[in-house]
Amino acid sequence: MILLESHSTIILNTLTEKFTNPSTIDIQFVDYDGVRFHLHTPDRKKTEILLSMSIRCWGELVRYGALDVIGREYGPYVAPTVEPGYDVSLAFDTNNVPQGEDQVAFIKSVALLKRNALAAPFERAFAEQKALESTPAPTDGSPRAQGQLMQIHYRDEEAIYVRASHDRVTVVFSTIFKEETDRIFGKVFLQEFVDARKLASLQTAPQVLYSNRDPPLEIRHLPGLKNTEDVGYVTFVLFPRHFSALTAEETISRIQLFRDYLHYHIKCSKAYMHSRLRHRVTEFLKILNRAKAENLGEKERKTVTGRTFSAR
Amino acid sequence: MNQAPIISDNGSGFSKIGFAGNSDPSFVFPTAIATREVATGASTVRGATPASRGSNLASKRGIEDLDFHIGDEAMANSKTYGIHYPIRHGMIENWDHMERYWEQSIFKYLRAEPEDHYFLLTEPPLNAPENREQTAEIFFESFNVPGLYIAVQAVLALAASWTSNQATDRTLTGTVVDSGDGVTHVIPCAEGYVIGSAIKHIPIAGRDITAFVQTLLRERGETVNIPPEDQLKVAQKIKESYSYVCQDIVKEFRKYDADPYKYFQRYDGEHSVTGRKYSIDVGFERFLAPEIFFNPEINSSDFLTPLPIVVDDVIQASPIDVRRGLYKNIVLSGGSTMFKDFGRRLQQDLKIVVDRRIQNSEAAAGTNLKSTGVDVNVISHKRQRYAVWYGGSLLASLPDFYTSCHTKAQYDEIGPSICRRYQIFGSVN
Repeated sequence: MILLESHSTIILNTLTEKFTNPSTIDIQFVDYDGVRFHLHTPDRKKTEILLSMSIRCWGELVRYGALDVIGREYGPYVAPTVEPGYDVSLAFDTNNVPQGEDQVAFIKSVALLKRNALAAPFERAFAEQKALESTPAPTDGSPRAQGQLMQIHYRDEEAIYVRASHDRVTVVFSTIFKEETDRIFGKVFLQEFVDARKLASLQTAPQVLYSNRDPPLEIRHLPGLKNTEDVGYVTFVLFPRHFSALTAEETISRIQLFRDYLHYHIKCSKAYMHSRLRHRVTEFLKILNRAKAENLGEKERKTVTGRTFSAR
Repeated sequence: MNQAPIISDNGSGFSKIGFAGNSDPSFVFPTAIATREVATGASTVRGATPASRGSNLASKRGIEDLDFHIGDEAMANSKTYGIHYPIRHGMIENWDHMERYWEQSIFKYLRAEPEDHYFLLTEPPLNAPENREQTAEIFFESFNVPGLYIAVQAVLALAASWTSNQATDRTLTGTVVDSGDGVTHVIPCAEGYVIGSAIKHIPIAGRDITAFVQTLLRERGETVNIPPEDQLKVAQKIKESYSYVCQDIVKEFRKYDADPYKYFQRYDGEHSVTGRKYSIDVGFERFLAPEIFFNPEINSSDFLTPLPIVVDDVIQASPIDVRRGLYKNIVLSGGSTMFKDFGRRLQQDLKIVVDRRIQNSEAAAGTNLKSTGVDVNVISHKRQRYAVWYGGSLLASLPDFYTSCHTKAQYDEIGPSICRRYQIFGSVN
């Protein structure tokens, strides 16, 4: 598994099962970046299912149009009242959800709830870029207008910054490495990211820049940026070809999971290192076992009754 | 902000994983990993791709270490990948595979960032402390978890019984009868600690019951109607849906003979490939199947001690001052204890054994003193199937859980040896 999937497996499995044979449920689970879900049948009625999601940066997402995206994707299923303690709720009755092929697609789209909520700022940025591109450059030599800088504080100390300009959309991730080893792994990994792009086969990939400690110029003016060793900034520059009508969806799904992708691969690399270490230790043990001195000199001595004195 | 702790109960057959506070695990799938490696054990085939393509690391090394599947997907890919079972007899045998198994179960299935969650893992009784240290190393170093608690499965099964209305108090003293697919264990616990010397294993469990049902069907000639490839599935279905434990086997036979139409049931199946319908009678196997726990001689002569006698032996082998508590709180766990009235029968048979012993000792004493008797109490509850996981979910929801965990700070300060210490909490003693 190289890429992380963008849908929630728990939602997918549970709904597939409950739509075929309804029964009461009450489960709470999570998704990356502190997203909490609550899936339950509120009034002890087996057919009415309520799915609520709590996401840290909901306020910011709403400002960037998350409600529109949610409304577009789920339309009639958005619950009028949100469950207390959560940010958005979807309600559906198993008797009037789509059937057959449509049901599979519907369940899949519900499982993408978190992805769709987080997609709003990216969609807005892509739209802004289109608008900026069509406005002509100012003739007096002043810099061209830029879209607003959208900040999404999706974790305690980490954020995504998205900004559109006339020919590109810049996405900056800030990430914190809690441990020294992780920081080193992260650094190597991100350097690799930059290097790997030089391969001929990856020429169409978005440009990636990595900086440790110093925030990139795009966001340097922001207040409250941390300036410590354990912070890393990754900048993606997306050109219009990356968010054409065909690829925009895919790009959004991939880029919003970038932080989790990075941390997942740091852990994978550690697991790989550990397996190498274990392998090496067993090899060393084999050598050590070979190096045991054979007991040549002493012959086995026996008592009259036939017992031996061999030391154990 | 701490989010719900993750409970991961990795058994030799199936893994039960999910979040604390729920009543059922989110995922139950085989503890199997499918990899491209040919050899088992430490992987020998490593990225042998030539380094001619570029100077960066990514082109030098392949991504073989990411090419694997776990759980049901591993089973689905068994044709092109090699399947490995990293846990044998409850103990982790292959740490490489287990580390990757955990990695994918956390990231792909639970979709959680391990740095945000506390973890509760389970271990079998008599697990070597070295294994616990290895586990701690993986969780603290690879995954950077903030806190880890490793609990003994039997103790969690005891905790799960607190929700039963038969349970009187929240105690961690009791005997756990844990019967899964492969083997049945009888484990005595005193105040949260397992009495290792008294544990006994019985080689009768779910798999043997299924096989016994199959033999019964074959002897009665019902199998001619069942397509051969469905036989195991049908036997399993009969075991799970039609079977119950009777209180007296002779009376039960008489009941069936007197009024077969009332007790015989029909099982309707459909051929999994051709879709042809078939129907068979389900008769004596309804109560005979679980009977092999109480009269093992009806199945095979390999093991002849009935379950109630084994439980009695286990308790008698335990220290004398806890025996009363062990008799009073016998807890069932695992799928093969789910038969209707299983607990009642066990209690009844055990009571007979205990009362007879008391009578004998009264007679041997030769005085007129009478014993006050011993309470024998078998507790069954709704969550028996995943009792261990459910017990973990209960304990991890308690506020004490966070203070009882081994934390990352402690690990960094002292090292993996902190996991040798084992702190119990949650019980009212």
